[in-house]
Order: sequence, then structure tokens, then C-alpha cells
Amino acid sequence: MLRDERLTQFALLFVALAMVATYMFPVYWMYVTALKTGTEITAWPPSFWPANPDFAAVEVWQRMRMGTYLKNSAIIAVGVTAIVVVLGTGCGYALARVRSRWMDVALFSILMMQVLPSSLMITPIFVSFSQIGLLDYPRTSVILAQAAKVLPFYVVLTRATFAQVPRELEESALVEGNSRIGAFFSINVPLARNGILVAALLIFLQSLGEYVYSRSLIQSRALQPATVGLQSFMGPNTSDWQGVMTYAAIYVTPIILFFVFLQRQIVSGLTSGALK
Amino acid sequence: MTVPLSTTDSMPTVGTIRASGPSFRDGRGLDRVLVWLTLGFLVAFSALPLVYNVVMSFQSVDLFTIASFDRPFVGLDNYKAVLSQRATGTIVRNTAVFVGLSVALQLTIGFGLALYFQQRFPGSTWLRGLFLAGWIMPGLVVGGVWSWILAGDFGVMNWALQATGITSDKIFWLSDPSIALYSVIIANVWVGVPFNMILLSVGLAAIPDDVYEAAEMDGAGRIWRFLTITLPLMRAQLGAVISLGIIFTLQQFDLFAALTQGGPSNGSNVMQYWSWELSFQHYRIGQGAAVSVLMILVVICVAAIYVRSTRHEHAA
Amino acid sequence: MNMQIEIDGVDKHYGAYHALKHIDLRIPQGQFVALVGPSGCGKSTLLRTIAGLETITSGAIRIAGKDVSSAPPRARDLAMVFQSYALYPHKTVAGNMMYSMRIRGISRAKARARAEEIAKITGLEALMDRYPRELSGGQRQRVAMGRAIMREPQAFLFDEPLSNLDAALRVHMRAEIRKLHDRIGATSVYVTHDQIEAMTMADHVVVLRAGVIEQQGAPLDLYDRPVNRFVAGFIGSPAMNFVPGRIDSDGAHVILDLPDNPRLAIAGRRPAQEAVTVGLRPEHLIPGDGPNALTLPVRSVERTGSASYVRTDTQPHLMIAAADRLAGVDAGTLSVTIDPTLVHLFSPEDETALAL
Repeated sequence: MLRDERLTQFALLFVALAMVATYMFPVYWMYVTALKTGTEITAWPPSFWPANPDFAAVEVWQRMRMGTYLKNSAIIAVGVTAIVVVLGTGCGYALARVRSRWMDVALFSILMMQVLPSSLMITPIFVSFSQIGLLDYPRTSVILAQAAKVLPFYVVLTRATFAQVPRELEESALVEGNSRIGAFFSINVPLARNGILVAALLIFLQSLGEYVYSRSLIQSRALQPATVGLQSFMGPNTSDWQGVMTYAAIYVTPIILFFVFLQRQIVSGLTSGALK
Repeated sequence: MTVPLSTTDSMPTVGTIRASGPSFRDGRGLDRVLVWLTLGFLVAFSALPLVYNVVMSFQSVDLFTIASFDRPFVGLDNYKAVLSQRATGTIVRNTAVFVGLSVALQLTIGFGLALYFQQRFPGSTWLRGLFLAGWIMPGLVVGGVWSWILAGDFGVMNWALQATGITSDKIFWLSDPSIALYSVIIANVWVGVPFNMILLSVGLAAIPDDVYEAAEMDGAGRIWRFLTITLPLMRAQLGAVISLGIIFTLQQFDLFAALTQGGPSNGSNVMQYWSWELSFQHYRIGQGAAVSVLMILVVICVAAIYVRSTRHEHAA
Repeated sequence: MNMQIEIDGVDKHYGAYHALKHIDLRIPQGQFVALVGPSGCGKSTLLRTIAGLETITSGAIRIAGKDVSSAPPRARDLAMVFQSYALYPHKTVAGNMMYSMRIRGISRAKARARAEEIAKITGLEALMDRYPRELSGGQRQRVAMGRAIMREPQAFLFDEPLSNLDAALRVHMRAEIRKLHDRIGATSVYVTHDQIEAMTMADHVVVLRAGVIEQQGAPLDLYDRPVNRFVAGFIGSPAMNFVPGRIDSDGAHVILDLPDNPRLAIAGRRPAQEAVTVGLRPEHLIPGDGPNALTLPVRSVERTGSASYVRTDTQPHLMIAAADRLAGVDAGTLSVTIDPTLVHLFSPEDETALAL
């Protein structure tokens, strides 16, 4: 009986591994291609393990000026995350604590602004930004537009986190002599820290991959982020797949590492917060 | 990467802290100020553009009038122009197919995976979490990788299909107008499956074991239990996943940019990409705004239905 | 007497819901006051308005003579023990205790010294560097108490602090809290739904129902002289029996609406034929024969060893709490007597107590 049970477990695990492997194939293929050299790329049948692994990271990095692109991506992601955390944390808290018709209206409007697709919002954003002269600061424009895009998501996530902090803790702090702002920083924020960090990380990663706004608002190559760089690299009829995959691998490896290390927190943050 | 939408409502309804006291520090206004910080920002950078979008959709906006605040109003001309184009039918149909197929496939595969990983075996939770890697990667990179996998000449997909004897000729996934849309759908399903799976897993986990045990005692088999217990109890969750799936699918842009650019000859073009194309490649900004307005209406309707329905459940 | 907390005509509305209706309450310095009532009676709301956690719709609250009606909690200088204890999970026991002093800008060393002092009183010395999650329920309760007595606040507020403890510990902590109160000489307001807690701990008990103070006074006054049927039924355990009845033509007896219409002497005179509700406490119905006796059919007897509880087979049921074991009484009838001075009469219309 027990043996059967273990056998079943192994069978289940084996099938699960097979499913994960199948799903992860594109990621694997990206790395393998990045390691292949010119002729092996076009080999038919394709080889699933590079004969002479050659990671042209330095060459691609320099040729594609990835340093500049990634720096711009980082600037945009940091800027967006900063704005979102500063503005959104308090809002998530207030929405979790106060219940009134106005707060419901506020929450509903925030939820509605979360669903607006970037590709549909970019037209008015582009025109209005250019009219008020914001386009002279293209990265700032992208940061503002992207912050408005992801702020609702952050508010929703942190609201769920704050809702899990028992109200009495804050009340106790108030009776003990703290102000509401004092209690917010000394009680609510520390206790909601994990949720806030996960939400901020998700915003950061999402902004690291931002494309529509950067593509449309930033003209100067020197200010464009890595997504736009990758797009221009691929072009319509690219054949330098090793280069593209090397670029992609350099770009996403930190993201994937982040994810693997914090997987448990990210999944639990998402499931407890956003998906109930 | 897509964004979840939530209406979580786990707040107690009594014992609200009515911010009391005279000073801001003690908060009569604190909550309001905190909410307005965010709302103000969103009004400035989302709501106002939204309104402006509607205004522009009734104006003639092109490269020459873009900087002007005093543009001629043209009534419904933009809408007429957009709707009367030859491509419009194709693009609307493409959008419907893209949304319908993506959502259906994401849901089916995601539900299947969720059910599978609901079984208890070592590492099930961790392995399930790995799927989210696909969701967290930048859409443009996902598009890049898939365009290599789906490449006509040397793409590994064609090799796999030929090696297994499913097809004999190479399929030109990205350059055949009748197939290009399905290439984007494949990549989009890949991106969307993890999110569907995680969301449905949460719902499945919320069904108590004893309900299944009771059904088993009543003599219900596996399939019968799925049909009579899992499905009905997952109804709300499934509704949420479908609504969110539609919303996210309508947000998809990066994959089109990376894979097909809407081509060839609009074969894989969809409304949200077309709107951008009109504004930023053809500089017919008024028309781009018109398409945008139409699609935003669709998105907001779906979202409002979804939010209202979940509201209702929480109230009940 | 020096009034520590004064509540003047306080009203509290939540939208259309009227949670507190014109509450007047005066609490002298050093008194232990219990607010008691069924759930939803407004006792916690009243406590929270004193704490400043709820605003009041109208009226005034003064603490130590100072009007704090619209002051934030921190300006009221109170300490509160919550039902859930509300220990800060991210702070150690010492950190929890020091929090209020640290907010007030008192140095870490001074706060720590005070915490050590309090820990000795509350028996927490060995737990100072533990986190709340590492403590048992009873220990958490102690930390909550210790945290409250760190400062010397104007008053202590307790919101059902013992309801999460098991029965034995609860009885023990009742005495502990009262001892602490006497030792510090502070003013305490204690909310509970458990009338025994209120009766055993408090100097002054306030009974609330539906946002209204039904009666307040010394515990035994409430027991002996309830002003209405609600208070009579709420105070005392098992609860008072209520039987409809009518005053006999002599004005000195009441005829109970029970089988055989038994007659009971009352301690005073009422108008003949007046319809009344008769209140008889289970423990005042003494088995045996005597001048003021009732003979009642028995439905069941529960024996705990120290007492026996008889349910009568009448409509309505009566409960009799007897100190002896009533061997052999499991069916048939039981005769009980009652002291006429212990018979309570209430008006069937407005449920107020009728003077005798």
C-alpha cells in the first residue's frame, strides 16, 4: 500500500517535470541558441545542445550598445517603481482601512484605470505630452506614463496586504500615543513589508520590460530601453539569431534569477493579494 | 507580462477608523490625502488623456496639427474613415479570433495544469510556481524567442512538426497571412497560461476536501465529482479568469510588435495594434484615437461587468 | 468625588444606525467599572469612543476634567488592552512594552529599565526577548497587561481581555487584573459580555442594551434590585425565571399562571387583579415545604455535584438551582419555597420593576 503510494507520487512528479520542461522549452531554446555559433544556428535538423558552446556576450553587448539600453531600462524601472511606491503605498493602506461610499468609488475608478491598454492610451498621451513639452524629457515621459499604467496594480496588491494587518495593532499604537502617520510607519508598513516588497518588485520587473511607451515616446537611440533595442535588432528579416538570443539572454537572466529566488514570495503575494 | 485585476474585499465592515482629531497628522484628512495622491496622479496621466482621446477622435489630428490646441472638429469623420477601410473587417475579425482562441486555450490548458498540480506530490507547489517565469518575462523577449522558434527556414517548430510527421512542408508561421495570427496566439497562450493556472489553483485550493470526500461516499466517480463539485464551485473563479483573460488579451501589444507587426497585409493585425499603427506609423492620429476609443469602451465594459459581478458576490 | 472620566449625553451614529443613545456616565478616580451587555449592545463602541478610536456624533467626553471629545487617541493618555491583545508581531516583548515610551521620546535605556520593572510585577522577566508568536495565550495576555501599565495613564481600558483564555486561566486572571488595579490605584473601564466577570471584578457595573444604559450601580444592587426585566434576566446565573401572573384580590399575593394556579406571598402590596410578570431566581427557590411553597412537576435534573439544576415540566419552564443533590427527584413533583422579599414583579407592558 505504502509502496504504491510512493510510486504514484514519483509518477506524478515525473509527469509534472515533463510538463514544466515542455513549457520551459522556449527559455531553454533561447539560451541554447545564444551558445551556438553561426553555422550551427542554421543546422537542419537543429542541434539541441551546442557542439562548441560560444557565448558571445561581450561582442553582442558592445555591438548592440546594450550598456546604454539596459541603463535606460533600469532608469525607467527605478523611476516608475519610486513614483508608484511613494504614491501607492498610502493609497493601498487608506483603501484597506476606510470603508465608505467615496472610497468604493475611488477603488472602482482605480480598478478601471488598471485595465486601460497601453497601446490604446499612447495616442492621447503622446499628443498631450508633446503639447505640454514633456516629450523634451522622453525618459521622464515614459516613467510618468508607465507609472500611471501600473500604479493601480500596486495599489490593489498593497491594499490586500494592508487588509491583512489587524486593525487593533494600529489602534493599540494610537491609544499608546502615536499619531496615525506614526502608526502607519511604525506598525502598518513593517507588518506589510513583504507584500509591499513583492508588489514593488513586480512593478520593477514589469517596467523593465516596458515597450509601447518607450517605442512611441523616445526618439533618441541613446535614451531607448532594452526592449526597443531588441526590437530594432530583430528587424524584419533578421538572421543573426545567435545575436538576438544572446541579447535576450543577457536581458532576461537577471529577471529570471530574481524570479527563481523570490518565487515563493511572488506567488504567494499574487495569490493572496490579487486573485481572491 | 500582464497585470492582475482584483476586487479583493476582505475588509471588516465595522469599526472603521473615522480619522478623528483636528490635525492632518491624526488624520481627519489623512486617508483622503493618501487616496488623492494616487487618484490625482491617475487623473493627470490616465483620466485626462482618456478624455483627450475622445476629443481627438472627433478632430482632425495629423503631423501638422499635432501641436495646435485649436484643431478643426470633424464630427464622426474619423470613425467613418476607420470603419470604412477595407482592412477593418479583417482586423475586427482578427481581434475576435485572437481574444476568443487565446482565452479558450489559456483557460483550458491553465485549468488542466491547475488540476494536475492540485494533486499532492513532492515539489508540486514549487514546480507550479516555475510556470510564472513565462509570465514575468518581458513580452518583447517572449516575442523574440517565439519568432525564432517559429522561423520558417530554421525554426525548431517546423522541424518538430516534420520530424513527428504532422506536416511535410515547412509552415511559414510569420509570413503566411492566413497563419501569422495563430503564431501570435500561440505565443500569447504561452504567456497567459501561468496566470490562468495560478488563479484557478487558488480557487481549487479553496474547495474543502470534505466536500469531495462526501461526494466519494455518495459514490461519485472522478469525472462525476469534477462535473458536479469542481465546476459549479469554480464558477465565480472561472468567470473572473475569463474576464481577466479578455482584458489582458486586449492589452497584448508586445507580441505583435516582436512577431508580425500586424502583417503580412494586416493578416495578423488587431485593433489595439492597429490603433498604434494609425497614430505612429501613418500619423493619422485622429483615426488612431477613434480606434482607441472604440476599444477602450469594449475593455471598460468587460471590466465593469467583472468588477460589478464580484462586488455582488462579496455583498451576498 | 473626583471624576476621572465623564461622559455627557454621548450619541454615536453609523449612518442610519444609532449605536449609542444619549449615554451619561461618571467614573470616579480609582473606580473599576464594567460595561456589560449582550453582543451589539454598544459596550465596545462606548469604550472605543472613550479611547478616541471612534468619533462621537454629539455629546462630550472629559478625561481628568479636560474635554477630549474631538481629541485624537494620543491626546487622551489612556492605555488599552484589546481582546486580541494587539501585540506588535514584529517587536519583542520588551519592544512591545517600550513602544509607548519610545514614541514619547523617552530614551531606550530608561524605557528598558521601566519594562524590566514591569516584567517583574507581571512575571515576564524570562520572556523579554521573545516575539509574540513564541508565547502561549496566557503569556500574551500578560504582555498586553504589562504593556498597558508601562505608563501611568489616566485610565485603563479593557476590551474583553479574557475571552481568548481557557476557563481556569480566566478565573485566575480575573483576580490578577483586579489586584493590579488596586495596586496601581488606577481608573479602569472593563468591557465584557460575561456578567460573572463584571460582577466579580467591578466596583460599578453598567448594563447596556441596544445603545442605552439600562441600569448602573454596585454589582449586588443590580442583582438585588434590577430596575427592569432585562437587567434581572441578564444579571445572575442561571438566569431569573419569569412567569406571568396576577395580583390576588388581597393585594399581598400573586397568582402564578402555572398548573393549579399557585399563590405566592409578596413583600408589599399591589393593586388587586393587576397583571404582572413574576421574577424568581433559580437559587431562591429552595426545595422543601414551608409557608410560601410551590409544588412543581419535574421534567429533568442535572447534577454537577455541588449543585443540582431542576427543569420543571411547566409552561414556561422554571429552573431551580439547589445546593443539595435531590436524590430520588427525577420525575414526579418537587416542592420549593421562596422568601417573599425575593419575589420580583415586573410590568408586562414596559417591563420595568414594580415597587413593593
